[in-house]
Amino acid sequence: MSSTNPNTESIARAIDPSLLAGEIAPGAQTDFPQMPVGQAVDMGHAPDGTPLLDPRIFNTMEFMRNPYPYYKIMRDHYPVFHDKLHNCYYVTRYEDITDCYFDDEGFNTIPKGSSSGVLGNTQLELSGVEHRRRRNLYGQHLVGQSLKNRVPAIERMAEDMISAWDGMSEEEGVETNGNVRRIQLGKAFANEFPIRVVCEVLGFPEEAQEDFYYWYNSMMSGLGGSATQKEGLEARQHLEDYVEGIVEERRVTPSYLYDADGKNLGKDIITKLCETKVDGDYLSTEEITSNIALVVGGGGETTRGAILNMWYLLLQHPDQFAAIVEDEEKWDLAFHETLRHSTPIGGQPRHNTFDLDLHGVHIPAGSLVNMVDFSANHDDRNFKDPETFDMFRDDLYSGKLLRSGYAKEGKCSHMAFGVGPHLCPGAWISHQEAVVGSKILLKHMKNPRIVTENMPKDIDGESLLPIGLISVRELWLEFDLS
Amino acid sequence: MSTQTKTGTPNDPVDHRYTRDITVGKNGVPVAKAKTSGGGYRTYEIHQRMRPGETTAKMTPTRLISDEYLTNPYAPLEVLRENYPCYRDWIANAYWITQYNDVTSIFVDDANFETRSKAWFYGIEGFGRDLGGEIPVLTAQATRIDENASAIAERLVDEMVTAGQADLALDFAARFPMELLGCALDLPEADMPKFIEQYWHMQRGYNWEPRSEQAGKTAIEELSAYFQALVDVRRANPGDDMVSAIAELELDGGPATGADVVATLLEADHETLHGGFANMWFQLLTNPDQLQVIKDDRRFIKFAWFETLRHSTPVINAPRFARHEVERFGLMLPEGGTVNCSAAAANRDPRIYTDPDTFDVKRKDMCQREPRGMYRADGLPAGIAFGLGAPTKHPAVPEDRPRSIYAITRDVVVTASNILLDKMPNIRLQDGATPEMRSLRIGEMHTCWHLPISF
Repeated sequence: MSSTNPNTESIARAIDPSLLAGEIAPGAQTDFPQMPVGQAVDMGHAPDGTPLLDPRIFNTMEFMRNPYPYYKIMRDHYPVFHDKLHNCYYVTRYEDITDCYFDDEGFNTIPKGSSSGVLGNTQLELSGVEHRRRRNLYGQHLVGQSLKNRVPAIERMAEDMISAWDGMSEEEGVETNGNVRRIQLGKAFANEFPIRVVCEVLGFPEEAQEDFYYWYNSMMSGLGGSATQKEGLEARQHLEDYVEGIVEERRVTPSYLYDADGKNLGKDIITKLCETKVDGDYLSTEEITSNIALVVGGGGETTRGAILNMWYLLLQHPDQFAAIVEDEEKWDLAFHETLRHSTPIGGQPRHNTFDLDLHGVHIPAGSLVNMVDFSANHDDRNFKDPETFDMFRDDLYSGKLLRSGYAKEGKCSHMAFGVGPHLCPGAWISHQEAVVGSKILLKHMKNPRIVTENMPKDIDGESLLPIGLISVRELWLEFDLS
Repeated sequence: MSTQTKTGTPNDPVDHRYTRDITVGKNGVPVAKAKTSGGGYRTYEIHQRMRPGETTAKMTPTRLISDEYLTNPYAPLEVLRENYPCYRDWIANAYWITQYNDVTSIFVDDANFETRSKAWFYGIEGFGRDLGGEIPVLTAQATRIDENASAIAERLVDEMVTAGQADLALDFAARFPMELLGCALDLPEADMPKFIEQYWHMQRGYNWEPRSEQAGKTAIEELSAYFQALVDVRRANPGDDMVSAIAELELDGGPATGADVVATLLEADHETLHGGFANMWFQLLTNPDQLQVIKDDRRFIKFAWFETLRHSTPVINAPRFARHEVERFGLMLPEGGTVNCSAAAANRDPRIYTDPDTFDVKRKDMCQREPRGMYRADGLPAGIAFGLGAPTKHPAVPEDRPRSIYAITRDVVVTASNILLDKMPNIRLQDGATPEMRSLRIGEMHTCWHLPISF
C-alpha cells in the first residue's frame, strides 16, 4: 500500500498475495478444477519434486468423482498422510491396512461413533474376545449351511421382483415399448432387493419389507454429521418400536424357517438371538435391535452398490460380459473384480490405542486413522494395472473369501469386505445376493445395454461418469423381451 | 518389547514397516499377540445411541470451515455455545467447547488435556529445544524490549507520518512485533527483510495448508543455519540480546544450537501483539465514542487492550488433546480426542459478560489485568487470549523472573498507542474505508489486515 519499507514488504509477501490486491483470500471451499480421469490436480511440489496434497481436495466433487490419483499420490509419497484440516491420518497401502486390520487391539473401532449414534451399540465398536463373542452370535447365521438354506428363498425373491416388472409403470422405473423394455435397475431391483433379503433372512414378515426399506434409507442417510440425522434417529426409533414387538413375541413363541418343500430348517435368527445368552444373561431387546439395525444398515447400500457397479462395469466391457453370458459361473469373478475396482464402501476408521510410528510418521495414541480400502484395492504393489477392470486378472483371489487378505499362491483378495477380525460378516450373503440376483436378471434380459442418454456424463459431456467414491446411483438399462 | 518385522514387498523398504509386539500368522500376516490380561482395548461401548431429541440439527459442520466462519465466526459459534456446548464435529474430528467456564476448565486441566507444540504439528518433534522459559533468555528479551520499544514505535509512527497516509494494520500492527523481535535478537538491519519473511513462513506453516507447510519447513532449515552462525559469533562476543543469552546457556544436552533458537522462536509468536493491536485500533476507529474515551483519559488504553483481547481476540481457537478417556460435558471424550477450545465463543458468553458483543473499554464485569495464570484473579473473569500464556498453578512471575511476557505485551501496546495518539491527534478511518476482521485460512489468526487511516 502506502509504505515501501522492505520490512513491511516482507510481511506483505508472507501474507497471501491475493490479500494485498484487496481481494478476499480463498475460503475453505476453494474449487479444485475437475481433471481427466486418472490425473490429479497440481497442488504444488516440494523442492525434491514430491507432489503436495491439499486436504481441502477431500471435500470436493473432483475427489468424489476421481479419487484414485490422489490415493496414488498418498501410496507413493505419503503412505501415512496426516490431514491436519480433518484431524486424521490416512493409511493407504494394501499391506499396511492388512497389518492394521489384523491388530484389533492396537487399532480399535471406536471412531465408528458416527454410525453407533444412529444404529446403537453393536459389536462394531468392540475389540478382542468381546467382539468375537458377539459377532458370532448372529454372524453364524449368515454363513455356511444356514446361508445355503436361504439361497432358494433369495432366488424366489429375485424372481418375484423381476416378474412384477410386467405390471409396472414408468414411475416405478419400468417402461415397455413393444419388444424393448427400459428399466432403471436401481429403482426396479437393486435398491430394494438387498433389504428384502435381509428382512427375509432375519425372519421378518413380508409386509414389513417396505417399512424396512424406508427405515434403512433414513438411517443410512442420517448417520452422525449428516443434515438428516434427526430423520435417521426417528427411523431408528420406529425400527426399534417395531422390532421390540416382534422380539417380545418370539421370546414367548419361537418361530421356525421352512424350505420350499415345507421342511423345517430350524429357528429363525431373531428367535435364536432371543435365546442367546451373553455373560450369563439374555440379550436385551435394545441389543437385539441394534444388531438388527446394523445388519439392515450394513446389508443395503453395499450390496445395492455392488450389483449396480457390477452391471455398469460389465456392460462397458462387452467382451467380459460375453464371457459371462457363455458361462454364468463367471459371475463370481465379476463380483470380486467389481469389488476390487469399484468398492461401494471407501474404508474403515480406526483409533490407535498406543503411540505408533508408521513409515516415519508418529501417530499419537487415540488418533483417527482412516484405512482406505479404496486405495488398497488399487495398490499396484498388489494388483497389476489396478485401474483396469479385468475379471480375468491373475493377481486377484476370487475363491472363497479370505479373512487373511493374502492367499497362499500369492494372490490377494480385494479389500472391499476388509480383512481380519472385523471382516464383513455379511460378505458371503452379499456375494450370494449379487450373484444369484444377477444370474436371474440375466435370464430375463436379452441383449442388455446401458441407455447412455439417461446416464450422468463425465466432464467432457460425452463419456459415462466414472464410479468414483460413491456407487452408481441410477443405472438405466434397455433390453429385449425375447 | 520384542518386535518383529515382516518382509516388505519389493517396493517397500522394510525399515519403515509398522512394528509392534506381533507374531506372524500362517499367511505371512502379522497378528497381534494375544494378551493374557489387560490389553490395549476396551470391551465396553462408549458411543451411546442418540435419541431423536438429541440431534445437533442447528449446526452443520461445514459451516465451521465456511467463508462465513473466516469472516464472522461469532454467529456460528453462538449457535454452538447456546445449543451444543460440547459439539461433536464429524468433519474436523473434534469436540467444540464454547462456554467460558468449560473452556477455562480445560485450559487449567493439564492432567487430562494435553497441549501439542507447533513442532508436533509440523511433524518435527525433537528438532530443537524450546528455551523460551529460561530465565536469562526472558531477561534479555524483557530488557531489550523495555529499552527500545518507545524508540521503535516512534520510528514506525514517524514513517507513517512522513508518508502522509498509512495502513495501520500493515505498516504498524504487523511491523511492530517484527521490529521488537529483531531488536530482542539484535539482528543486523540488513538481515531483517529476509528474517521477517522466513519467520512468517515458519509461523504459518504448521497449519494444514501443504504449500505453506513446505515454505515453513524450508524457512526453518534456512533460519537454523542462519542462527547457527549467529550463535557461534555471539558465543565468542556476547551482547545483551536473546541470541547471546541462548548461546551462553548451560544445557544438559550440550550447548545451544541454531535449531534451538529457531525452536524457541517457533513456539512463541507475534500474533497476540500483531492481531490484538490491529483489532484494538479497528474497534477504536470504528467506534469513535470509544476512541474518545481513551483520548480523554489515556489510562483507558490499557483497558481497551483487555477489552480487545476479550471482544476481538486474534487467536480464536486452540486445540487440546485428551490424554486419556475422560467423561466431561455429558460425553465420554475418547483418549486422544481433540477438543477445540473456542476463545472467541467463550469471550462472548452472556453467562459471563453483560452485553458481550459490545466493545466497551469501561466494562465493569471483567478483570482489569491479564489472566496470567488465573482467569478470575480479582473474582472477575478475564478475556481468554492465548498469547497471554497458559494458566498455571505457579505464580505467573516468580521472584527471579523479569516481568512476564503478558505484561511486556500490554506495556508495548500502551506505549505505542500513546505515541500514535501524540503524533496523530486527529487519527481516523480513511474516508470510504470499510475495514473488516477475518482469518486468512481456517485455523489462523482472526484480525484486521488492512486499516487505512488519515490523520
